[in-house]
Amino acid sequence: MASESISVIKLRDLLLVTVPPDPGDETISALQEQVLRAMARHEAKGLVLDISTVQTLDSFFARTVAETVQMVALMGGRTVLAGMRANVAVTATQLGLTVGNALTALDVDRALDLLNAKPSGELRV
Amino acid sequence: MKKQTTATSKSPATVLGSEDSFRLLVESVKDYAIIMLDPTGHVATWNAGAERFKGYRAGEIIGKHFSCFYPPEAIQRGLPDQELKTAAKDGRFEDEGWRVRKDGKQFWANVIISALRDKDGTLRGYSKVTRDLTERKQAEERIKQQSKEIMELSTPVMQVWQGVVVAPLIGSLDSNRTQQFMERLLGRIVETNSPVALVDIMGVPTIDTQTAQHLIETISAVRLLGAQVVLTGVRPAIAQTLVHLGIDLSNIMTRASLSAGLLVAFDILKLQVVSKDSTH
Amino acid sequence: MNEHQGEFRITSENDIVMARKVVREVSTALGFGLTDVTRIVTAASELTRNIYHYAQSGVMHWRSLNQGVCVGLELTFEDHGPGIADIEQAMEPGYSTGKGLGMGLPGSKRLMDEMTIESTVGKGTTVIVRKWLKK
Repeated sequence: MASESISVIKLRDLLLVTVPPDPGDETISALQEQVLRAMARHEAKGLVLDISTVQTLDSFFARTVAETVQMVALMGGRTVLAGMRANVAVTATQLGLTVGNALTALDVDRALDLLNAKPSGELRV
Repeated sequence: MKKQTTATSKSPATVLGSEDSFRLLVESVKDYAIIMLDPTGHVATWNAGAERFKGYRAGEIIGKHFSCFYPPEAIQRGLPDQELKTAAKDGRFEDEGWRVRKDGKQFWANVIISALRDKDGTLRGYSKVTRDLTERKQAEERIKQQSKEIMELSTPVMQVWQGVVVAPLIGSLDSNRTQQFMERLLGRIVETNSPVALVDIMGVPTIDTQTAQHLIETISAVRLLGAQVVLTGVRPAIAQTLVHLGIDLSNIMTRASLSAGLLVAFDILKLQVVSKDSTH
Repeated sequence: MNEHQGEFRITSENDIVMARKVVREVSTALGFGLTDVTRIVTAASELTRNIYHYAQSGVMHWRSLNQGVCVGLELTFEDHGPGIADIEQAMEPGYSTGKGLGMGLPGSKRLMDEMTIESTVGKGTTVIVRKWLKK
């Protein structure tokens, strides 16, 4: 089964990726590739990962996200994880997962505001 | 000189104390299942209480192994044999647990198994006295459920302003309560789309390391959502305890009162309270 | 799908996602609430991935548990892989032997109510986890 294709959308100087509800490992790894290529192509200053439909956040997902955040940072961008579900957050915390230096936001709107605003007033996880 | 009778005396006490009447005693008792097992755990005797609790008549159960009274998981874990071993070693074994009736229904039992030894210490078998405590257990479960409901009723998470929820915490946080509290709090934050949550701990009488760790866990979970916590209602005693316990809350916003916390929330949301009397 | 018992073979990376779907269906059917379903599915994801990465193939069994008024779910993850030499070490959070695959075992234990691990080096590993429905 091929990995699901992820679309990376360019919104001015930001990137928006909507993560599917239950992505397999291959899809998650492909996501990282595509994000980095898009960062290079568009010289984006930030990335929003919309995880509002994601049902499971296990250690592989968390690790890949944390790596992606670091890679995006090296390329000059900030990353915001948007819309994590309550049950996913509770489970991820119990599992002891962190998402590196990713910022978090309640939804995509707020994530975009965060990336467009000045650096003060950030939420660091 | 009075002639003393040496024949067996017929006083009422002795009559009742005879073996026959002892058997009558055991067999007739309906409130306790009193049975004997042979040294390998097979049922040797039965009584009215046993028939009442377990549903078997004497004829159909004598000779069977007593593990048939246990639920399948208990048999798989080897519980019945372990209990006999303990009784043989320590003289007795007591436990409360689920037992299975003839019709498959389960009941909550208090069981005491005692090793029966004769004068030279040889194991002759075991006595097993069982009490049906299902009603008591059901009452306990009802009380547990009601307390749970009471606790949940008394700590709703309230939205006090657009973007701000308040969650008062009453009592301490054990693992279970923390999970419930987290689920409720995070659920409301997402529902109301609130970036700020004021967790008020005025109602927490004393704070221990466990509760503090669970609070920190809750705050981490809220951050994953994209919201932040302001801990309010930090009383002097609590502040002292937290520092003495060496708990680091330096990257968490805290305030002594709920109203001070609300000001922080407004600040985060870039809101300001202005008096109506102020001149333009 | 029978939520009372069944098994699922793990032979490819895609099976990790499939295992999650199966476990989600089974635990939801048994009546677990959303957050508990999420915990169980996440633990299953970790343990299935362990099988795939360390042993390349294995089996996940599930069965419903009944103990009086308590209902629960038991998942068994079995493989004939390299086995775990030091189970205690493997249970330490952050410990990993390759590809940064720490977290799997201790994390799953935190998410579930009970966990048993049996492993023999060179023979394989069996991990059994259980979660009970809270009344």
